[in-house]
Amino acid sequence: MLTIEKLSVSYGSVRALTDVDLEIRGDGLLHGIIGPNGAGKSTLLDAICGRRRPTSGRVRYCGEDITRHSVSWRRRQGMARSFQRTSIFQDLTVHEQLQLVAQHLGDGRVGDVIEVMDLGGYLDQKAGRIAYGVQRRVDVALALIGRPRLLLMDEPGAGLSATETLRLFEHVRDLVRERRIAAVVVEHDVEAVFACCGMVTVLDLGRHLATGTPEAIRADHRVVAAYLGTAA
Amino acid sequence: MTDDFHASATATFGGSTSRLSLAIVVGLIGLGAGAVVPTWLASDFVLRLGSEGLLLGLLALSVAFLMNQAGLVALGVASIYGGAGYLFAIGMSDWGLTPTAALCVAFLILLVYATMLGALIVRTKPLAFMMLTLAAGEMISHAVLLEGLRDYTGGADGLVVRTNGAVLGIDAARFADPAQFWSLAWGVSVLIGLALWAIARSRLGAVLRAIRENEERMRFSGFNTFLPRLIGYVLVNIVAAIAGFLHVLNAGFVSPESLGLFVSTNTLVAALIGGISGSLGPILGGLIFSFAQDEFGARGLTQLLTGVAIVVFIVVFPRGVVGGLSGLSKRLGWRREAS
Ligand SMILES: Nc1ncnc2c1ncn2[C@@H]1O[C@H](COP(=O)(O)OP(=O)(O)OP(=O)(O)O)[C@@H](O)[C@H]1O
Ligand SMILES: [Mg+2]
Repeated sequence: MLTIEKLSVSYGSVRALTDVDLEIRGDGLLHGIIGPNGAGKSTLLDAICGRRRPTSGRVRYCGEDITRHSVSWRRRQGMARSFQRTSIFQDLTVHEQLQLVAQHLGDGRVGDVIEVMDLGGYLDQKAGRIAYGVQRRVDVALALIGRPRLLLMDEPGAGLSATETLRLFEHVRDLVRERRIAAVVVEHDVEAVFACCGMVTVLDLGRHLATGTPEAIRADHRVVAAYLGTAA
Repeated sequence: MTDDFHASATATFGGSTSRLSLAIVVGLIGLGAGAVVPTWLASDFVLRLGSEGLLLGLLALSVAFLMNQAGLVALGVASIYGGAGYLFAIGMSDWGLTPTAALCVAFLILLVYATMLGALIVRTKPLAFMMLTLAAGEMISHAVLLEGLRDYTGGADGLVVRTNGAVLGIDAARFADPAQFWSLAWGVSVLIGLALWAIARSRLGAVLRAIRENEERMRFSGFNTFLPRLIGYVLVNIVAAIAGFLHVLNAGFVSPESLGLFVSTNTLVAALIGGISGSLGPILGGLIFSFAQDEFGARGLTQLLTGVAIVVFIVVFPRGVVGGLSGLSKRLGWRREAS
């Protein structure tokens, strides 16, 4: 579904990603991305969804080279993302913003998203007024509208407790499995990633370190040395 | 009686439709009464001042619309307002067009200009947008003073505009009559006010406000965020052009002042005085501004008193007169929704 070829991204003189290759299959499994701070995880998502132009390399989506397409085009083709720093419409009610996007993308089933993200109790409240944890769910909900085929999530658990994060991950895992779509999740909470993801990729200093099943990653001595340490 | 009507309307059409029909009824009554009653009561002088106020109000209305919906401040409306007059005059005298043809050609030129400028600038950040509209406006207002264009623009003297015959089917002489012009300006203001009110409540309005709030998330939700802002910008300029045509038809001349920064800043002040969050405020602001200017001018202290008045107004009514009064009425529980 998604193929990343020799992808490099620089911010001026800072190389955030160097020659990353990655293959994401749309088989209903969550694909986790982990790595230390500044490893380039957000940058990778930015390059996939078009927020940032890669310096070199290519992004293929469903076989097509989409490296030069706009963010909104990609979204209309089913590539959606959520944000590490919550990005929602503070002045609109939860329902207004979900409805606005749903109408645009021709999604008549906002109810499903509201149910999955458990937002039923907040529909008529302005998004800026609800608790932070709920705002995080609105952020993810906005990405779920329009039945995306590829879901990119940047630390959906940021600012949530470990249990909340795990619950969110389980929700998303079930959704992805049920709809047989692809999902890439960047997350700091390694336990949640290992519990819910079918595949895990480790980035370190902008380079691809390893990709494999949670068990294989846990056992990989390079990963342990670079990131997991003795905690895992 | 009104309550019954309101209740049954709510039951039949649902809340928003009944409010819309109520607004249309109120609008029609206001349109009729405002157009004729002042012409019975007021002197020609007062009607002239009032008409000027309405034209300023129209400009304020357009600027307030963009501010409110898109979070963008347009400081260049004067170039469209004055430009409309110049192009109309040049069309008749230099290109030999009939008044109606000159009007249409001028309108098309302005439309193309606004679309092209808009395409360049609506993507920028609010502050940059404001400075760019200012720069473009200043450019035009200096261009008319160029020596090489003097034959067309009349330089600093401006142009006398003689309109013979009819414009869009209306006898040109009627525009010069204070009472008839008031009625026309009033009618146009009410119609444009209602149109912008409806657009603000339409999907375009909702999309514009969402873009204002979080442009990036709108793109990440699959929206084109450029086109709605361009449409909003062009709308503003269409309203400014209409005000400009009314002005030139009424005044019978165009001068470089009509293109100047003063017109743009007065517009902004009128919008802030009246309140930007609706259609009523800017129009009212234009009227207040026009009458206040005359009053201050009579004392020979226009600038000083205007400055003081603006400060006082903004302190007393931070959300404009209309915003302030509606806030007050809400607090006192006069609004039925509140109870
Ligand atoms: N806008 C930017 N301008 C300059 N440098 C940036 C910018 N964004 C990120 N970087 C740098 O690029 C590198 C990768 O950043 P990125 O945000 O992708 O890391 P990350 O893995 O998501 O980290 P975190 O876990 O903290 O979210 C870092 O060294 C960071 O300092
Ligand atoms: Mg990050």
